[in-house]
This record gives sequence, structure tokens and C-alpha cells, in this order.
Amino acid sequence: MSSLITTAVPEGTLQQQATSINKEHTTCCYCGVGCGVTATIQNNQVIAVQGREDHPANFGRLCVKGSSLHQTQHSPERLLRPRVHNQEVSWEQALSYSARSFQDIISKYGPDSVAFYLSGQLLTEDYYVANKLIKGFIGTANVDTNSRLCMASAVVSHKRAFGSDVVPGCYEDLEKTDVLILVGSNAAYAHPVTFQRIAKAKQERPHLKIVVLDPRRTATCDIADIHIPLAPGSDAYFFNGLLSYLAQHNYCDAHYIAEHTQGFEAALSAAQKQVNNIHAAAAACDASVDLIAEVYRLFAQNKKVVTLFSQGINQSSSGVDKGNAIINCHLATGKIGKEGACPFSITGQPNAMGGREVGGLANQLAAHMGFDDQADIDRVAQFWQAPNMAQTEGLKAVDMFKAIDEGKIKAIWIMATNPVVSMPDADFVKQALQKCELVMVSEVIADTDTAKAAHVLLPATGWGEKNGTVTNSERCISLQKGFLPPAGEAKHDWQIISLFAQKMGFKGFDYLHTIDIFKEHAALSALNNTRKQTPARAFDISAMADITLKQYSNLLPIQWPVNQANPNGTQRLFSTGSFFTPSGKANFIAITARLPVLQAQRNEVIMNTGRIRDQWHTMSRTGTAPHLLAHTQEPYVDIHPQDARQLNLLEGQLVELGNRGARYIGRVKINAAQRAGEIFAPMHWNAKYASSARADALVNPFVDPICGQPEFKHTPVSIVRHNTQWTGFLVTTKNHEPQCDYWAKITVQKGYVFRVAGVQSIAFDHWLKQQYPEVEQWQELQDSQGEYYRAAGFVASALVVVFNANQGHIGPTESRWLNDQLGESIEDGVRYSILAGNTGCDDEDQGAVVCACYQVGTNTINRKIRSGCQSAEALGQVLKCGTNCGSCIPELNAMIQACRSTGV
Amino acid sequence: MSERKTYKKRLVIVGNGMAAGRIIDELIARDTVKPKSGHSLFDITIIGDETCGSYNRIMLSSVLAGTTSAMSIIQKPASWYAQQGMRFMAGIRVTQINRQQCHVLCANDERIPYDHLIIATGSRPAHLPALNQNIAGVMAFRTLADVDTILSLSQTAKHAVVIGGGLLGLEAAYGMAVRGLQVVLVHRSAWLLNRQLDEAAAAMLARVMTHKGVVLKLAAQVARFNGQIRVESAQLTSGEILPCDVAVIATGITPNAELGIEAGLQGQYGIAVNDFLVTSDPHISAIGECAEHKGKTFGLVEPIWQHCISVADRLVRGMQTAYQNTPVATKLKVSGVQVFSAGEWLTSPEHRAFIFVDSARNIYRKLLLKNNCIVGIVFFGDVRDGQYFFELMERQISVIQAMPQLLMGRRFCTQLPSMMALPMNKTI
Ligand SMILES: Cc1cc2nc3c(=O)[nH]c(=O)nc-3n(C[C@H](O)[C@H](O)[C@H](O)COP(=O)(O)OP(=O)(O)OC[C@H]3O[C@@H](n4cnc5c(N)ncnc54)[C@H](O)[C@@H]3O)c2cc1C
Ligand code: SF4
Repeated sequence: MSSLITTAVPEGTLQQQATSINKEHTTCCYCGVGCGVTATIQNNQVIAVQGREDHPANFGRLCVKGSSLHQTQHSPERLLRPRVHNQEVSWEQALSYSARSFQDIISKYGPDSVAFYLSGQLLTEDYYVANKLIKGFIGTANVDTNSRLCMASAVVSHKRAFGSDVVPGCYEDLEKTDVLILVGSNAAYAHPVTFQRIAKAKQERPHLKIVVLDPRRTATCDIADIHIPLAPGSDAYFFNGLLSYLAQHNYCDAHYIAEHTQGFEAALSAAQKQVNNIHAAAAACDASVDLIAEVYRLFAQNKKVVTLFSQGINQSSSGVDKGNAIINCHLATGKIGKEGACPFSITGQPNAMGGREVGGLANQLAAHMGFDDQADIDRVAQFWQAPNMAQTEGLKAVDMFKAIDEGKIKAIWIMATNPVVSMPDADFVKQALQKCELVMVSEVIADTDTAKAAHVLLPATGWGEKNGTVTNSERCISLQKGFLPPAGEAKHDWQIISLFAQKMGFKGFDYLHTIDIFKEHAALSALNNTRKQTPARAFDISAMADITLKQYSNLLPIQWPVNQANPNGTQRLFSTGSFFTPSGKANFIAITARLPVLQAQRNEVIMNTGRIRDQWHTMSRTGTAPHLLAHTQEPYVDIHPQDARQLNLLEGQLVELGNRGARYIGRVKINAAQRAGEIFAPMHWNAKYASSARADALVNPFVDPICGQPEFKHTPVSIVRHNTQWTGFLVTTKNHEPQCDYWAKITVQKGYVFRVAGVQSIAFDHWLKQQYPEVEQWQELQDSQGEYYRAAGFVASALVVVFNANQGHIGPTESRWLNDQLGESIEDGVRYSILAGNTGCDDEDQGAVVCACYQVGTNTINRKIRSGCQSAEALGQVLKCGTNCGSCIPELNAMIQACRSTGV
Repeated sequence: MSERKTYKKRLVIVGNGMAAGRIIDELIARDTVKPKSGHSLFDITIIGDETCGSYNRIMLSSVLAGTTSAMSIIQKPASWYAQQGMRFMAGIRVTQINRQQCHVLCANDERIPYDHLIIATGSRPAHLPALNQNIAGVMAFRTLADVDTILSLSQTAKHAVVIGGGLLGLEAAYGMAVRGLQVVLVHRSAWLLNRQLDEAAAAMLARVMTHKGVVLKLAAQVARFNGQIRVESAQLTSGEILPCDVAVIATGITPNAELGIEAGLQGQYGIAVNDFLVTSDPHISAIGECAEHKGKTFGLVEPIWQHCISVADRLVRGMQTAYQNTPVATKLKVSGVQVFSAGEWLTSPEHRAFIFVDSARNIYRKLLLKNNCIVGIVFFGDVRDGQYFFELMERQISVIQAMPQLLMGRRFCTQLPSMMALPMNKTI
């Protein structure tokens, strides 16, 4: 065995007695809430998970996704061995090949011809090593991440206003505030545990006012006192209006403005120029004057106000400005850095924040240092002893894939993300990757849409196997613990990157454990981090630079900064009114609000995208857990009743959205929670789960000019009814895409359900049998008019497929019972029920036929005997049995006899 | 005492088969009729050429297959008639009806006068166009005596040939196969039960019968029987020779109508009757398989029970209860084989057919619809709810909204076509 193959084993946790049960504290790997999890492990398997009581993010709670963590552990689709050009190879071969290819490309075209595309799902340590390798050693800043798609706007808003990318508040502020404004946040679905905390606070303190600003009436509105369904993209108008209102009615905190801020006048005059009063705000936001006035009043008259913002603000061509329009209002009233008062950007991913800390984006350097200061660049180069330090910013996500398409970037390494599904204009991304000379993908799942485009596919460890830290939305660092052996030959991302770096001949990548990386990261955060006795950069975990392995392995959640002044972490920043700008004062930014780039043309509607409750990102992991698909099973489109009427759409029909040559097919959900002219499509579905439901393929690659974040929430799309001729479902053990115009896959306990539909009538039997040539026995129900068809296929008497279809757009009834029969050897009694789709109603089960003429069965007859029919004639009178040919009379008499003798 | 002097109508019944047995029950059930106590309206005489009392002919198949004893199918032993105050002339044939003098002439030369005569002479096996069929061992399968003979032949016989792949032929073939004979069934059509099943269902039946040990010769006809006194083999028109020690002919039935026709009653296939089972002579009724109603004759008991009700109502109560010729469902009494067929059975372009097939389990269920109502049922292997569909068909209830689920059986349906929703399509 080559030394490359050995995997560093974290401090002996793996060598436990096989049967012993033990518990480990770790962190959920899904959303930005970052809940603490206690996992129960037996036989190297997580058998249960529980919310960690002492974790400040969740205090024992978990959402559906978090509580299913153990179910997504044993995905049958795990990637277990490295592959090069679809051939399984050794790690040695895979890494030598990749390193050589990288070197060749760099030597021919220079370092800017390669790129990394990372993910907020990576752990901080993974992120750190990747960033160090590409920026310090390969010599390019062409490293971006899917955080570009979610947090880039907020990062820049923070930097512009505070001089640093800092979320000032903490989750507790959401509970302690008196007015909570959620804007562009469907926390109920996207941050479920945070939402539960808010809901509980509201219950305990009913005077806590909750306001939701969102074009849609989402599940979050269930606990809201006020919901303003404002026009999409009009948020900055709303907050400019608020700033004008605050000034006009003397609600600004003149003292705070003078002492702790700069640029107020310019910001106010820009706001006033655009939205001078409530009426102008109402017009710009297409909302009610009264509601707007009420919310403005609430903001103005309460000291404790939190504005919680998320993707509805960030994913926009003017997301940075929107963030600053919000922050302006908080600065103007001094509502920042205090308990229950702050602007609060909540992140989507588990470690978007960690990525920002290490500088894993094209326009960041490391540890909150940037490319705009040569001293920073030199400092970091020195610290890393970097031979090829990048000197300028690299390409951000959208531009990066453009550069691939143009042939400027020739090699890309994608880690822990699925851009073929999640990037805007995702079909373009797919094409670009097809042109790329070398596509490396590190993945947990073998055949994600992106993995399919890979030349080199590297198996990474997943949750429970990998070890390292993550930082959630409130700057809280916690440990995601490794307590399981890697699946197959999988390796940790930091290991893979380090081994690759060593293969390329670089020094400084000889880490043995994540703690080595963490300590280096902590030390870097401390590097020259002082200005006039105060830290120059907010991100400072210098107090952790000497952490011991024991401390690290039992890390208690802690909020940065963690330094000499705050050894136990920091709950809130800016409490003293000092900021990280050169002057130490916060900046007002003059905002001229802009609407989204494109408005809808005739026959178009505005598509909004977002999350559903139980899925995570592109479903690679959550799609494999049956009960996570139970809540919402199929791609859909929310549409206002009025639009549905106009477009002649009925509930449950398929509808087709189009843009940029891509299409999205989903089920119509008529929903008055939408605004007319606007629809909503979930962002999760990938090509493994549905034929055409990659919503992001329709999204235009319009980005915010400052931060490069795409406008996911506002895409004009064409909309037509899908010309469905037939509809049906397949219940099957085979994970095989059906050959038809529309399908959506639902994972169930014993296999899959595919909802299918087509635009062209087909011979159902022919179609089915072509796709299941392995079936030995068919059971079929045919209709000579071809309106209905049902069939069940068996292999060695085990049920492998059921197909039920009919003409038209309304599908046949599905049943859980049927799904549960999959793969089972079906006995004759049940076999007959398969095509019926249910076991039938028991009280009508007559039992075996005794009277053939009138088809009267044992059960029915016995019931009558028990209720008093004591002769064949008496039975005949009530049931007709035996009154025709009489051949069953002897049997009837025998039954009466039997009944008498047993006394039943 | 005065009642004794009351004149009683003389009612004579010719034939003592299933129809005769049933009409007696129906007469007795109409309560004014108490022959034994002398309160009866009628003096009843029953003349039958079989020696025993009335028995359940249907059960002959079970007797042959050995699942029922011959004794247990006799419903009215000879002694029973006397107890009821009726005269039963057992083993005596009626040879002539004298309508002018209103009496019948028996083979023993006795004349029995009647005020009303009921002809219930049934039918006999249809003629087979084969040579040399009058030798020993070439049998019908109609009477208890026939079954007796077959059973006694079976003791020594090895080979049997059954001619006719209808219900009767299948039951005979099965019965003999169960008794250990090597049975070949010769059928003229290309598939079995060709009046009840379509080709697909019949193919399953053929598989099952083969499995039960019956060798099938389809699209084949017997040209002659070989043998001097006893049958030795049957020769097919193809020339093939099938060895046989017993041959059973079951190729259909011919009504025993001659008695009536020769007496001048009208009728083409049988003795013609009107809706009240009255022949062209108002003093004579005909019931059962010897009768012809609107050009149709009978082969199953169900309509015959209706004949009996109509005649009993008329004779006892003077009520005119019209008989209606309704379709009848077919069932096959072969152990382990379920067949249910009613109405139309061959799919034609004007039908909408719903078909369930499970070839591996030999299950076939077909419903034929016209104007959204059932017009044909062909079930094989699983006949669940056959009777229910039969009623839906009879009442012409629209079932389309419950299809195709309904085909699987009503217990799988949450919504059933309502029987109440529509009045009966047929007017009475
Ligand atoms: C083996 C077998 C199985 C059957 N299975 C079924 C079944 O499952 N379901 C069903 O519905 N039907 C079945 N049938 C048919 C059913 O038995 C007949 O429809 C029914 O018996 C007809 O009744 P009938 O009174 O008209 O005729 P029969 O029962 O035949 O009675 C007529 C009687 O009249 C006698 N007779 C004839 N001529 C004279 C004469 N000149 N003088 C005196 N007596 C005379 C005959 O010998 C006979 O005894 C079966 C028949 C057979 C043979
Ligand atoms: S709220 Fe987020 S972090 Fe918490 S359990 Fe759910 S997905 Fe995991």
C-alpha cells in the first residue's frame, strides 16, 4: 500500500467495541442555523440523532432534515472509489493524473487557467487548505464558492458599512427584540429551528411584533402580525422610504449618527430623492399605505428592532445596495450592537460563514484580509511561505464558468457542490464543463449531475465521517465530529487537497489532523491584527491558536472573536459603537434603489425560486431519505388563482416554464399566497429526481455588479400548460429514468415512485415492457380504448414494478400499501390486489365462494348462521345461496353443523 | 265433509325431471293447495320414464367426480308422492296425447285424463353425425342411469373419449379423469367453451384441463366409432384413432318435443309457449327444456325456475305472471376451475373491453361495455363479484365512472355504481 492510502484516524474514536453504543456531540450539516446534534452510534452506524440541549443555536431542537441525518447516512449512491474517465483507479493513480494535468495546463497557460469551485458545505479546515493551495501556491485567486450564490451581497454590505464582514448580533436577539422584521426570508422552511425559537418567543411575549416583507405569503407569515406582499425586488425602496420617514419624523438618533457613523447626509438625500414619503413607498412597493405606515411606526417607536434578511435580499442584481439600505436604517437609529437590536443577515449554508473566514472567495484573501492592501497580500504570503502568491482578485462564480466556456479556464476542481443544478443558467454551466479539459469533482454521491461531467471523480467523506469546524449565522464555531470510518476508500477533503498539493510538489501541506489546520488558521487570524490597541480585523480567533487536541475534540460552541479580550467568545459586536473602518466609524451608503434587471414581457410571469421545507440544496443527500420526500414529492409551481384562470390551468396539471432554452415542468399549485403575475418554483430538483425541474437553468446570469451574486429571485419566464396526454406512476425497485416527456422521482422505503406523463399518446404496454425487459411475469389490465392501463411485473415472484396510467392530466391514485409491496415475494391473495392498488375493504371480503350461482362466500354465510339462520333454506332466503342449482346445499348444511358443534 | 265433494281439477305432469320437481314445490308453496289433507284444488298425477323420483340432475357431475353420492341427490323419493296425496307413475313413458279427449296414453296402455296437462319432458343429447354410435360404451351423460353405467364401465376401462367441449363435456371429462381414466376430449371448435369464453380465456382453461390430465383435441370431429358390440376406439375425421372403452357424447341437447308436436302443438325447436308457458292448446302448458319461448330453448335451470313460478301462479291463483327471458350466467363445476360468463363473450369493434390478465396464475377477467353499460362478462380463474357484474349488466347500470378499478372487484372500489340510481331498464 502506498502511503497515500493511509487515512489519518482521529484520536481513536473509531476503534470502539463493535457493539457498544456511544454518543457523540456534533453539528448538523445542513442549513446555516448550525444546530448542535448528539448522535448515537452503534456498530459504526449512526442509529439515532437528537438535538443537543446545550448548543446555543438550537437548545435541543432539530428540524425534519436534522432529525433525518442518520437516514441519509447509508445512501446507496455513495461514491466509494476514485474514478478517472469512469474507470475505478487507486488514489495514487487519480491524484498523480490530476496533479500532472494541472501542472501541464499551468505550465502551458499560466495559473489563471485553473480554478477551484468550492462550497459552503465544506468544513473550515477543508476550505482553508483549498484556499491556501490555490492562492498561495498555484498562484491564482480563481477560487469561488456556492456562497457566491447566497451570501456575497451581505458580505459586501457588511464590509461597506462596518469595514468588515460581520454579523453584529446573535440568535438571542431574535427572541429578545420587540419588533422583528423578516425580509426576504422564509425562515419557517429555510431556517426551521431559528423559526421555532422565534415562534416560541412570540408565544411567550405576545407583544413581540413580527413583520414579514415578502412577495409571497409564506409559511413564515403564520406567526406574523403584519405581512406586506411587496413587489419583488422593491425592498430597497421600502428601506429608503423608512430612512426618509425616520428623518422626517425625528426618529433618528443624532447623537449616535454624529459619534459613530459617517455619510448620513448623502444617504438620506439619496433616499429622500427617491422615496420621500409613505405614499411614494407604497407606490414603489405596490403595497398598502396603511401597512407601510404601521411598519415604519413600529420601527421608529421601538428601541429593540431586528431586521432579519436572507436570500430575498441577497439574490438580486442590487443585493449589496439592499443590504446597505437596511443597515442605514439601523445606523440612523443606533439600533445595532444592543440586545434585541441589529440588522441580521442569516446565512443559508452550514459553513458559508467559515468559508468567508478563511477567505475562500475570489475577492477575498484570507482571514478577513483582502487584495486591496498589498501589505495584507505580503503578510499572508509570508505566513504561508507561499511561492506563487496571487496578487489580484480572481473570477467570481458566474464569470468563472463563462471563462471555462471561453476556454480561458482549462481545469476546474469542484468540491462538495452541484453547479450543474444550482448555478443560474445551469444548462450553460453544463455545456461549459463539457468543453473543459479537466473537470475534477470531489463528491460524496456518485452520480450527481455535476459528477456526470467529471473526468476525475474523488470520493470524499461525509457527515459523521469527517472532522472539523463550521461557523453558523451568529458567528458560532462548533465541531462537526468524525466518529465513523470513511465509506469505502473515501478521504477527507483536506486530506485530498493536501495529497494533491504534495503531488504537485508543494511544501506546507503535511497536516496530520484537522487541528493542525485549525491552529494555523487561528494563528493567521491573529497576524498583525491590531490597530491602536484594538483589533484591525473582526475575525480574530487568536485565543484558539494554541488549542490542545483535547480541547479541540470537545470544542464547546463559541462565537468569534475569541481573543485575549474575549476568551469566551463574543455574543454581540459593535456594542461600543466602534467599527472596523479606517476611521472606526460605520459608513452610511447612499442608495438609489433599483428594480431587477428584466421585467416581465407579454405572456411572461416572474419566477421566484426558493426552498421547500424538507429538502436541502440539490437533493443529493436528502432526496435519498423517503420521509423527507413525503412533504413535497414533486417539482411544482405556485401560481395565483387569477393567473391560473387566465392560462386555463387546473390544480395538479403540469405547467411548463421556459427561459434561455431551458424548461421547467412542475405541477400547478393554485395558491393565493402568490401575487398575480408571479410564480414560485422550488430550487432543489436535479436531473436525477426529475426530467426537467432544474429551476436554476432558467435563471438569467444577471449579477450584482459589486459582489457578483446572481438574481435568482426574479426571472421573467414563459409559461404554458404542458400538453399532457397521459399521466401515471411507476412504483419500482429500479432506479432508472423512464423514457418519457415528464417524470419525477420519489424515494420510498423499498424503491422509487416515478410520476410520469407524456405529450404523445403511447401504447402503454409496449412502452412499459421495453423498459423492463428483465420482467418474467406480467399482470396486466388493458382497456381497448387505451384510456387506462395497469401492469405489475414480477421477477421470480417478487414484485419489481407496478405501472398505472391513464389518458389526461389527472393521474391514478397512488397508495403507500402498494409501495410497501415492492421487492416482496407476493402471495396469491395479495397478488390479485396489486393492480387494484389496495387490499380492499375487509368487511366486504366474502371469503371463498360456496354458492357459485350467487357467489356467496364462507364469511358472509358464517355471519348469517351466527345471526340465526339455522337451515339451508333460511340462508337461501336471506342470501339466495343454494336456491339456484342447489349444489352447495350439502356444504351449507355442513357449515351450519360446524357452527353448532363449535358453538361459535 | 262438503269439501270432499268439491270437484278437483285433474292435473297431469308428464316427465319427472327438475322442472317437474320444482313445479310441485311451487304448487305446494301456494298455500291453498294441500293435497294430503284433501283441501287441494288438484288431483295430481306425475308420469316419468325414469324409475326413481325427482333428483338434482346438475349434481350428476359431482356424482361422477365422486364428490357426492347418488343417494344424496334424490330430492323426492318415490314414497314421497303418495305422502303428498299425488300419484306417481314411475318408469312409465307417455306415448301420446289425445287433446280431443283430454287424456294421455301411457306405454302401459293406461289412459290418464286431464283437465290441465303440463309437459316437462326435458331434452336428450343432440345427435352426433358419427357412424356406428349405437354400440355399447357410447354413452350420454344425462341421467342417473347414465352415470351408473359410466361408473361401472370405469371400473375396468382405461381410455375414455368425451365428445363436446362445452360445460357438460368438460364436467364429464374431468369426472372421469379424476376416476383415473385416460381421457381425450374431442371438440369441434378451435377453443373450449366457445359459446362462453373468448380465445384467450379458453386457452387458460385448456392449460388447466391439460394439467388435470385431460388430453384435448380441438377443431376435431369424431367420424365413427369402431367396435362390434362394445366400443373399442373413436376415429376422427382426420383419420386419427383414439382408443376408448367408454365414449361420452355431450355435444348439446335436443328438446323432447315430439310428444307435443305429434299431438299437433305448435313449435319449431321445442313446444312453443307464450309468456305464461301456455302452448297453442290452452289446456296444455310446457316447461323446462322441452319448451320453446320466442324461438329460444333452454339448457340451464335458472330460467326453468321462472317457468315454474309463472305456471303455479296461473294455475293456483289465476295470476298472470309473465316469464321473461333474461340472460343467464354460466358456471363450470370442475374443481379448482372457476368460470363465469354472461352476455356477450367475443370482443367486437363496438365494444369497449376491459381485460385483466395474470398469465402466470391463469386468471382472466373481461368486461365488455356498450354505451358505458356491461353487455358481457368473461371471467376465468377468479370469478369474484361475477354475480354483482351480472346484476349490473341485467339492470344496464352505467359503470364507466368506476372503471377500471371495478374490474378488480367491488371491494377495491371506494365508489360503486349505485344500483338504486337507475330504474330497471326493462319494463315488465
Ligand atoms: C350432468 C349435467 C350437469 C348439469 N349442470 C347444470 C348446471 O350446473 N347448471 C344448470 O343450470 N344446469 C345444469 N344442467 C342442466 C339442467 O340439469 C337442466 O336444464 C334441467 O334438468 C332441465 O330440466 P327439465 O325438467 O326441463 O328436464 P329434465 O331434468 O331432463 O327432465 C325431463 C324428464 O322427463 C323425462 N321424459 C322425457 N320424455 C318423457 C316422456 N315421454 N314420458 C315420461 N317421461 C319423459 C326425462 O326422462 C326426464 O326424466 C346439467 C345437466 C346435466 C345432464
Ligand atoms: S435547522 Fe438547519 S442546522 Fe438545524 S437541524 Fe435543521 S437543517 Fe440542521
